[in-house]
Amino acid sequence: MNKDSQMRAAINQKLIEMGERERLKELLRAKLVECGWKDQMKAQCKDVIREKGLEHVTVEDLVVEITPKGRALVPDSVKKELLQRIRAFLAQHSTL
Amino acid sequence: CNGAWLQRKQHTLQPTYYVMSLYPQIMFCFGRARRSSRCGSPAGCSHVNAYKVDNWRPNLRVIYQCFVWSGSAETRRRKAKSCICHMCGAHLNRLHSCLYCVFFGCFTKKHIHEHAKNKRHNLAIDLLYGGIYCFVCQDYIYDKDMEQIAKEEQRKAWKLQGVGEKYSTWEPTKRELDLLRHNPKRRKMTTNCTIGLRGLINLGNTCFMNCIVQALTHTPLLRDFFLSDRHKCEMQSNSCLVCEMSQLFQEFYSGHRSPHIPFRLLHLVWTHARHLAGYEQQDAHEFLIAALDVLHRHCKGDTTNDNGKKANNPNHCNCIIDQIFTGGLQSDVTCQVCHGVSTTIDPFWDISLDLPGSSTPFWPLSPGGDGGTVNGESHLSGATTLTDCLRRFTRPEHLGSSAKIKCGGCHSYQESTKQLTMKKLPIVACFHLKRFEHSAKLRRKITTYVSFPLELDMTPFMASRWASTNYLPPGLYVLVRYALFAVVNHQGTLESGHYTSFIRQHKDQWFKCDDAIITKASIKDVLDSEGYLLFYHKQFLEYE
Ligand SMILES: [Zn+2]
Ligand SMILES: [Zn+2]
Ligand SMILES: [Zn+2]
Ligand SMILES: [Zn+2]
Ligand SMILES: [Zn+2]
Ligand SMILES: [Zn+2]
Repeated sequence: MNKDSQMRAAINQKLIEMGERERLKELLRAKLVECGWKDQMKAQCKDVIREKGLEHVTVEDLVVEITPKGRALVPDSVKKELLQRIRAFLAQHSTL
Repeated sequence: CNGAWLQRKQHTLQPTYYVMSLYPQIMFCFGRARRSSRCGSPAGCSHVNAYKVDNWRPNLRVIYQCFVWSGSAETRRRKAKSCICHMCGAHLNRLHSCLYCVFFGCFTKKHIHEHAKNKRHNLAIDLLYGGIYCFVCQDYIYDKDMEQIAKEEQRKAWKLQGVGEKYSTWEPTKRELDLLRHNPKRRKMTTNCTIGLRGLINLGNTCFMNCIVQALTHTPLLRDFFLSDRHKCEMQSNSCLVCEMSQLFQEFYSGHRSPHIPFRLLHLVWTHARHLAGYEQQDAHEFLIAALDVLHRHCKGDTTNDNGKKANNPNHCNCIIDQIFTGGLQSDVTCQVCHGVSTTIDPFWDISLDLPGSSTPFWPLSPGGDGGTVNGESHLSGATTLTDCLRRFTRPEHLGSSAKIKCGGCHSYQESTKQLTMKKLPIVACFHLKRFEHSAKLRRKITTYVSFPLELDMTPFMASRWASTNYLPPGLYVLVRYALFAVVNHQGTLESGHYTSFIRQHKDQWFKCDDAIITKASIKDVLDSEGYLLFYHKQFLEYE
């Protein structure tokens, strides 16, 4: 493992250990509903399903097709806020 | 809920982590897509039945407890350590656990798929979201019993962590579903709609009340509280001001255009705050404080069901008013002889600021001196800024020889200095510019122009600023940034004046409320106004 992924793993472990990961996840979920992202995603998924036909599409097909679009559509403000919180968390647990 | 329609936000709104800048829509009523309609194959997955034998329920519960929701510190520690892909060592990449044996594998690189195929273990559980995947059907399964267990365990885990229900999505109760069915009309907030704007009839010098009502009804967190029907009334008679506010919010957000006549509100204010009774002009600031106080007292029933969690504000109250408006002011009195410091913390609902031009000297705080660029306010025009007023408010003040205080260190009366700083910032910071001077000698209005910003950084006025600025990584200051959302103005003289307000809708649309008349306003109109009460909303809210 390179240094970067070691760091990621360490941060992820700390987030899980302190219960922060769960809170961040729920926070993100709420933010994404609020900013309309979830509705956008739902519409995109429906489009894909309509295009391919319900019989011929799996969850994984959807994930592959939608993930890049989904990432791109997350508002900067949401990303920024999550980053702030992770930073604040790390500042508090700076033994890492 | 009362009335012909329901207003709801899709998820339970907890003030503690609502971010205003992201407030684009309130969903009035939300038809949640039912799980069943999302299920891939209408017949459902038959492979799940093979799992449902013997003790499958307790087994599944243990998996949720230990590896998915991990409510206790012990299980979280274990999860953090042990949950890595057994094949590639990844921590992330959509980690799943086999339901038939102890195996963790990542989904992204298909390591969990490999395991499923080799061992013919068809079901795996997503360790982050708790969904259960069937490798034969190639789909997550939507099994009622399993979902029930997942939900119950998640609730327990949240409770263990003291998170409460605050992060859970709103699910209508049976009663609410009935109401929704009987009231099919839905209202949705779009980015340009003006729902929520409504004029208020002046009932005879009641503009002091109207301008505050406009500010309160446009306080994002307060609106969310009332529109999600969270007040549980415990008042005996129908004289509850909180109930009246609920009614008022319904009126404001009903979409009706005609001005509302707030006579019941006025009557209740007269009943509960007798010093404001009568048809004379009253002070809007005084009304604000009285209203907050009465609302706080009438909120009793709302404060009990918060998991018994101690209130985290200096007023020691969990009511919505204290959650939003209460901050803590730290007062440090330093003895000039022994330099011993005695510190007290007092709750506040607003900050009253002295202005230049009053009989108490405003300067020697040099205009635009150190930290002159704070909050991007310029002193080009020579105008005093809100930041100046706050710097003055938080400067060390020599108490003088006539105000000696008994020092705990010296055990005698000594001269001392006193400094006020913000210990705890409220979610809504309300600044009162002291424009009305009532001293023994004179009563007058101070019309000095004070410029105030759209965005305010409160970091420089915090008690722990020296400790924190050296410690926090760059960029963290955003956590104490505030955005202006309402301004109350007083026009005219002390004897005959008139109150109006500017309120903000959405992110940057401003409106002027002059009793029954509401007009569009520019940001310049707002910032050029004199300013009597300034309402700022915290932009990033910590969850506690
Ligand atoms: Zn299946
Ligand atoms: Zn792997
Ligand atoms: Zn297995
Ligand atoms: Zn009530
Ligand atoms: Zn209270
Ligand atoms: Zn002393």
